[in-house]
Amino acid sequence: MQIVDREFDVIVVGGGHAGAEAAAAAARLGTRVLLITPDLGRIGQMSCNPAIGGIAKGVVAREVDALGGVMGRATDAARIHFRMLNRSKGPAVWGPRAQCDRALYALAVRRVLEELPTLDLFQDMVSDLVFRGDRIAGVRTRTGLEFRASSVVITTGTFLRGRIHIGLGKGVEGGRAGEEGSVALACALEGRELEVARFKTGTPPRIDGRSVDYGRVQEQPSEPGGVRFSAFVREEYPGERPCWITWTGEELRDIVQENLDQSARFGGAIAGRGPRYCPSIEDKIVRFPDARGHQVFLEPEGLDTTELYVNGLSTSLPPEVQLRFLRTVPGLERVRMTRCGYAIEYDYFLPHQLRHTLEVKSVAGLFFAGQINGTTGYEEAAGQGLVAGANAGLAALEKAPFVLERDEAYIGVLIDDLVTKGVDEPYRLFTSRAEFRLLLRQDNALSRLGPVARQRGLLSPSQTKVLEERLETEARLREWFRSTRLRPEQVNDALADAGSSPVRTTSRAVDLLRRPEVTSKMLIRAANASFVEVGWEDAMLAVEVDLKYRGYVQRERDRAAALRARATFRIPRDIVYQDLVTLSHEAREKLGQVRPGTLAQASRVSGVSPADLQNLVLEIRKQGGVRSQCSTGNMTVKQHRGASHVSRET
Amino acid sequence: MLAGLHDPESGELLDRGIVTSFPAPASYTGEDMVEISCHGGYLVPGLLVEHALEAGARMAEPGEFTRRAYLNGKMDLLQAEAVSDLVAGRSRALHRVAVHQIERGLSARMTSARASLVRLEALLVHHLDFPDEDEPPTSLEAVAHEAREVRLRLEGVLATAPEGELLREGALTVLAGRPNSGKSSIFNALVGYDRAIVTEVPGTTRDALEATVSLGGYPFRLVDTAGLRETGERVEALGIEVARRYLARADLVLYCTEWGEGLSDADAGFLDERDCPFLVLETKADLARAGNGTPRYVGTRGNGCSRTEGRTRHPLAAGTDDVNALPDRIVTSVVTGEGLEEVRSVLPRMVFGGLVQAPADMPVVTRRRHRRCLTRAVEELDAFERALANGVPAEVAATHLRPAETALEDVLGTVTLDEVLDRVFRDFCIGK
Repeated sequence: MQIVDREFDVIVVGGGHAGAEAAAAAARLGTRVLLITPDLGRIGQMSCNPAIGGIAKGVVAREVDALGGVMGRATDAARIHFRMLNRSKGPAVWGPRAQCDRALYALAVRRVLEELPTLDLFQDMVSDLVFRGDRIAGVRTRTGLEFRASSVVITTGTFLRGRIHIGLGKGVEGGRAGEEGSVALACALEGRELEVARFKTGTPPRIDGRSVDYGRVQEQPSEPGGVRFSAFVREEYPGERPCWITWTGEELRDIVQENLDQSARFGGAIAGRGPRYCPSIEDKIVRFPDARGHQVFLEPEGLDTTELYVNGLSTSLPPEVQLRFLRTVPGLERVRMTRCGYAIEYDYFLPHQLRHTLEVKSVAGLFFAGQINGTTGYEEAAGQGLVAGANAGLAALEKAPFVLERDEAYIGVLIDDLVTKGVDEPYRLFTSRAEFRLLLRQDNALSRLGPVARQRGLLSPSQTKVLEERLETEARLREWFRSTRLRPEQVNDALADAGSSPVRTTSRAVDLLRRPEVTSKMLIRAANASFVEVGWEDAMLAVEVDLKYRGYVQRERDRAAALRARATFRIPRDIVYQDLVTLSHEAREKLGQVRPGTLAQASRVSGVSPADLQNLVLEIRKQGGVRSQCSTGNMTVKQHRGASHVSRET
Repeated sequence: MLAGLHDPESGELLDRGIVTSFPAPASYTGEDMVEISCHGGYLVPGLLVEHALEAGARMAEPGEFTRRAYLNGKMDLLQAEAVSDLVAGRSRALHRVAVHQIERGLSARMTSARASLVRLEALLVHHLDFPDEDEPPTSLEAVAHEAREVRLRLEGVLATAPEGELLREGALTVLAGRPNSGKSSIFNALVGYDRAIVTEVPGTTRDALEATVSLGGYPFRLVDTAGLRETGERVEALGIEVARRYLARADLVLYCTEWGEGLSDADAGFLDERDCPFLVLETKADLARAGNGTPRYVGTRGNGCSRTEGRTRHPLAAGTDDVNALPDRIVTSVVTGEGLEEVRSVLPRMVFGGLVQAPADMPVVTRRRHRRCLTRAVEELDAFERALANGVPAEVAATHLRPAETALEDVLGTVTLDEVLDRVFRDFCIGK
């Protein structure tokens, strides 16, 4: 008898945020899944900042949840501090953010995974891959075990040839502080001639909360209420802790400047590129020497510990320098450091080698998700994990692939950016990466993605029931706003309170809602409508934004539809870009590298101009590739007529 | 270098000439190029081309070198178009504009406007994507102000479009008037040779005659038409119909009337219907002066040129030379040459008044494609400002910015890059 089962549909290598979602998504589809990781105790580990969400990232967390994922539930079960970022701005850019108890978060992920009957967990380090021709066939572990599956998802985070740097010197091998890196697997992957490069990222020191002078820092309490990350299961909130804000000053700047030559980053020990939006304190001081100071957030690591995460002071300076500069910060004069900040360099695979399913183009059945694709962030990893896992499962079931478009989800934007544009620094999502920001909101994640998740089999029966209730609620609310008419005496007081001019005649609720100052709650209260139930906040907000900014939302939908038209214009797979002499050299080179499948994807490859696109359409037509798609082609030609002008006239 | 040019087969010396090599990437096209200068005439160049073709070369397609230069990133779309204008242009004014554009006159303005929009988006992105940062929040007033600045700059360039497009096509200038009012004589005088048949028989001109002339360096498509009158004669009637069609499209009408005849009610009615500027030419002054010397006609209608009010004025021309100060009628004689010089100098100022006054480095919009794109950009920016003023949240109003940017990119034919975030990271200290 075998000690462990060796045959699966899907194997997931890694148990971080990408791995957990990948395994769970494949298991929800009903496939037999094995998750292998070197330390089962660290499934769902938050290796950096103990927080989920933020601008754009908070939307992704809710998208993962809407697709049936793990992240939303784990966040609710571990949240100890909540803020809705951008609350002062319009709801279209709100970003929920939760500070989490690190230990509770990991426990919750493990618990949700163990609810899935077809998912097995196994502790071991994968050291090699098994191939059958151009297909993946399974994995081998350091203990000598072999597991077989037709789909394998690799989610190794920063562990591939990870090297940790604190101060100068060569650094030490490791995937995270105190954990071993993975070199054998990196070699196995390189054997398949995949292009690899190196990034770096960093983490700040952590401190003993008992050594902080709280009289000298500013408390940032948790927002009362707040939204839930999970629409499906009401996890119990464990308790609350505040965050604290303080500032760096000139003294810290001087210490950092004096010791720059000892920083791994500036001393030359690290070559990999780091993220500009998450710079080390060395980076900030070198690039903005005139800034008077920088904000520092002290964030609780959990309910049962006083340890604090010093957000804002990521560094690779030697430990003694770290302690010296920490002690210049108001409130930290007598601080004790519990863990040093460090920088980590790791391998990632250039993501243009992937399809939109996150399958490696050259190896059928092999999927990559998370930091291995050059991204940063738990949410980015989770979103990719879910898509890779779903596709790994669908492939095993021989079903059509699952791809999210740019107008459907931030996850779609993320993956499309990775695959068509590539990365030159660790990739993070921003609202500015999404051209359809008004459509991709945190409030409508469920009604936006739930239906497609249900259709592809990613939702459990209980999740499906919640989705159907939500869709029905939205329909009822929409109908109410359209059909309700309010008399002046009903609304004028409320309008006056909101600073909006009074009405003289009976007005439709939907028209009043268009006024910037008017909210849906206000109108429902004014009408004395009693049908609204607790828990409808999200649905109300989703309906409100859609109705309030209907013209704009519609404009985005129209633009999205135009993009979809381009997405149906397929580029022949065997096209030889070097022969297309009407395209610029740069475009030929980049398109040859990325090999986009559709015109829409080609348009997002950097270095490809509108004129190149138009000529691409003409070349494909000339070769008789896509006669049936004339209407799409016409659209493109029309849009860029100027370009054809030149080729005819000059 | 000086080199002997030989027949590759026989080795026979064909000519001795200069061979210049232009190595990539500094050449015109950005590729390796060689130019051979030989003696002129038909025979030598023909022989050299023939041998080159035999050796595997091929003739360049029209505009191929410029197209290659564009594809290799040596010039943007506007510059490539300007090269075409330079080659095809027929007037000094278009030549000047084209040369200026090849030196990136318009491109530079568009590029800088686009850079401002990128900066604008960066401000908004900083406002939306990094709410917790060290720097004070971006003020929306500053954003609206910058959008307005860009819009005004674009409108300034756009205002050159009506005249700029005429630079490429020539201003359609139609000679009209009653039969035998001297239109064809004026036509011939302006063209410079006897193109039209002139007799004293009214209704001589049947079909419309067209000729391109350069007046003061500006292009005019001068059209001589059949005189307007009720006629039962079929050919003449057809000619009058053609005249009416030209008149409907005219950029300028030269209305001829014999000196002393005056403008009849019908003439006045005709001129009232024009929606382009017009100039009354009182012809045959020599005949009248040879008679009693005093014209019977004393003008009752003034303001011949006042229709220019509706036209878009060049912003830089405003206040420098009032179009209304131009004469509304000119007394002419093709026999003595009286008034012709004045006509030649007045016409460019009537049609190209803005450009005549504009400084030499003012970029000019010469193509409808540019005008369409610029109009789109201006409309989007206008909508953006209005939305902000009406209390629409910034992230919603911002849906107007990207289309405005795309419109400018379309003019330039440039590559769309992910520049906004680069801009944010360069200008703001971001990240915890």
